[in-house]
Amino acid sequence: MMLARVADSLYWIGRYVERAEHLCRLSDVMLTATLDRTESATQIARIALAAVGDPEGAVKARNPYEAALSLVLDRQDGGSVASSLGLARENARQVRDQITTETWERLNLIHLRMNDPHAARAFAEGSQDFLHDTIADLHLFKGAADATMSHGEGWRFLLLGGYLERAQLIGALLEVCFGDKRRRPITDHAALTSLLRMGCALEPYLRVYTADMQPRYILEFLLLDEDFPRSVRFCTARIEEHLASISRPVEAHGVAGPDRLAGRLRARLQYADIGEVQAGGASAFLGAVLDECAGVHRSVYEAFVSYPLEQRLPA
Amino acid sequence: MGAGRVGVESGVAKAERASGRAQTVPLAYDEMLGAKGKVRPHYAALDARLATLSSEDLADRQRTLERFFLLQGITFTVYGAESSTERIIPTDLLPRIIAAEEWKTIEAGLTQRLKALNMFLADIYSAQRILMDGVVPRDLVLGAPSYQREMQNLYVPHEAYANVCGSDLIRQPDGKFAVLEDNLRVPSGVSYMLANREASKRVFPGTFRGAGVRPIERYPDLLLSTLKSMAADWRPNPQVVVLTPGVYNSAYYEHAYLARLMGAPLVEGRDLVVHDNMVYMRTTTGLRRIDVIYRRVDDDFIDPLTFRADSGLGSAGLFNAYRAGNVVICNAPGTGVADDKAVYAYVPEIIRYYLGEDAILPNIETFLCREPAQLSHVLANLDKFVVKAVGASGGYGMLVGPHSTKAQQDEFAAALTADPQNYIAQPTIQLSTAPCLIGDAIEPRHVDLRPFILCGEKIVVTPGALTRVALRKGSLVVNSSQGGGSKDTWVLTDRKDLQP
Repeated sequence: MMLARVADSLYWIGRYVERAEHLCRLSDVMLTATLDRTESATQIARIALAAVGDPEGAVKARNPYEAALSLVLDRQDGGSVASSLGLARENARQVRDQITTETWERLNLIHLRMNDPHAARAFAEGSQDFLHDTIADLHLFKGAADATMSHGEGWRFLLLGGYLERAQLIGALLEVCFGDKRRRPITDHAALTSLLRMGCALEPYLRVYTADMQPRYILEFLLLDEDFPRSVRFCTARIEEHLASISRPVEAHGVAGPDRLAGRLRARLQYADIGEVQAGGASAFLGAVLDECAGVHRSVYEAFVSYPLEQRLPA
Repeated sequence: MGAGRVGVESGVAKAERASGRAQTVPLAYDEMLGAKGKVRPHYAALDARLATLSSEDLADRQRTLERFFLLQGITFTVYGAESSTERIIPTDLLPRIIAAEEWKTIEAGLTQRLKALNMFLADIYSAQRILMDGVVPRDLVLGAPSYQREMQNLYVPHEAYANVCGSDLIRQPDGKFAVLEDNLRVPSGVSYMLANREASKRVFPGTFRGAGVRPIERYPDLLLSTLKSMAADWRPNPQVVVLTPGVYNSAYYEHAYLARLMGAPLVEGRDLVVHDNMVYMRTTTGLRRIDVIYRRVDDDFIDPLTFRADSGLGSAGLFNAYRAGNVVICNAPGTGVADDKAVYAYVPEIIRYYLGEDAILPNIETFLCREPAQLSHVLANLDKFVVKAVGASGGYGMLVGPHSTKAQQDEFAAALTADPQNYIAQPTIQLSTAPCLIGDAIEPRHVDLRPFILCGEKIVVTPGALTRVALRKGSLVVNSSQGGGSKDTWVLTDRKDLQP
């Protein structure tokens, strides 16, 4: 049993934390790559900025440091790392009674560091260190949640939010790199390596495909790998699992429940073939996946959070 | 030895004497130092420990303490023009210590007082015997803004109207404790009592272990059983919730803290649904019935249908569900009439009326400005009195005579003459002082004492309290809104009780 509002907050903590981690990683890869002033460095910056949905990405890519700084610390931008973590922490404060002290402390500490008056200076003095530490702290947060929270409904909502966000973020990144709008395919070795880094996938990829950097393999790995935790397929399998374990409310007539949508999404990825995906155009497939992710999100809301009261009143 | 550094031989005593304590507050009782600056026996262990610590050591420990509060998120937000920053509530690391013998008196006095006040509430919301017998003036009670007509003739289990009470005690210059205020509405501060204790165990582990401090950790489960006892008659395993105004309330941390430690859901008004005079909360699996609401929302905001129509903090229909006996609201609405500042003056009479006993803890002498003779006495001595508006709290709407300007006194004189009903006056009491770390020196500051008393089926006094500190030198106002802080309070075990 859990309050609808609490489930909502936990779900969003999961989403915001995942978003913050992804943004940190994109910024880090962008800054590292652009240390070399090469053509592919600018391309990498453009990919990273397009993947976060920045419409002026192409312009900002010329000044990657400024772009990264605002992506991480700009509080006016509701989508920055600092804003996302602020929102995650504000949600955590609202459900402080539902998360363990260990979990809370981790998140609170990250938030305090992001809001420290010296944060901008720390970033300037060593942006890679700063981002690396933030990512590591977010891993500690996830570890604390895993190791100290009961793996019940609340924890599942937290993870549900995280995996749904991750599926959408990786999906958006793949759309930028392999979608129909791209005029020239990415073939540059450095750019392909950076793409894997943005998905935190370089080392796991090497173990499966060796150092053979092929766009087709990269798409296959990030989209369809069964075991890699940041592949879209892996995420959808977890989404289905968590939804199946959250106790089901009374079924509303004629409306597809979130678990049915999640099952269909998982099946779509589980039985997909990379050759067919590419033959039909990656955009078509990715578009369907992202639409279905959005559908799961809406249906989670309808089923658990903003359900109509008339359906639930005692007879 | 640098200025303010604690001496190795004489501990705090010397530092306090050196800081010129005797001149600043000649009348106050000092919690630590007795006649001629001699350390009182129950403070000896702490004094000995302090003698071994340099001011750097103390500053280190103060930092540890502040970090603890910051990490736990025990903060309030200061909203600025561009960004908001979070501050911790000022907390002093030196514990205030109360001897076992003294605590026995406090405990007995508080129990007696809450028992009588709940009998008083049960009476005025039913037969009103005490008003008929003329012990307390009828118009004083029925005219008080906190009197809730809606509560008349309503069944309250165990006649326990005030389930959670946080009384403010002060120690007078003669060393005796007196009650300054009874807080029977939604008293707060208990989370600070618990957090201060956790922090001081980290800061002074060694001293703590040897001191024989009575534990207070059971407060949350005692609170839960008190709340459950309010519905136990009709529901075998009642569902208890904590109702908070929300995350922007200054006491939100406390609401979440108590909910977490009781294992009760923390709900807001928007989580509640009243249907057919039953109260439910919206869960992920639908609506779930609620039996007991420990509400941390003021009377006026509980139910927009019954009280303030513009309130978004409560739930429409809640009061009717309460009237129908389908849910218990704790504390009951309308308890404020028993902690009204004018009714306060009658509490010793109230105790005598219901219990036939003398009050164990005395009141502070109080002048009711509604009585013409008392009003003229107050007006003639405004520079000596503390004048309080009856309806105000939190240190607002208050004149501290000896610390006031002539202009402030004139302003109050006009207000008193215009609306005497609304004011009471008390002589300015020098609150006792306790040693505090101020900068890098130990100095005495004025303190009060807020213990917490629970009342359901029975009355329980937790052996601890929140000690509030007026951190500004010479100040007598301990409210956190007025520059006050707090410190841990150690109630010692009676050594005799420990022997087999």
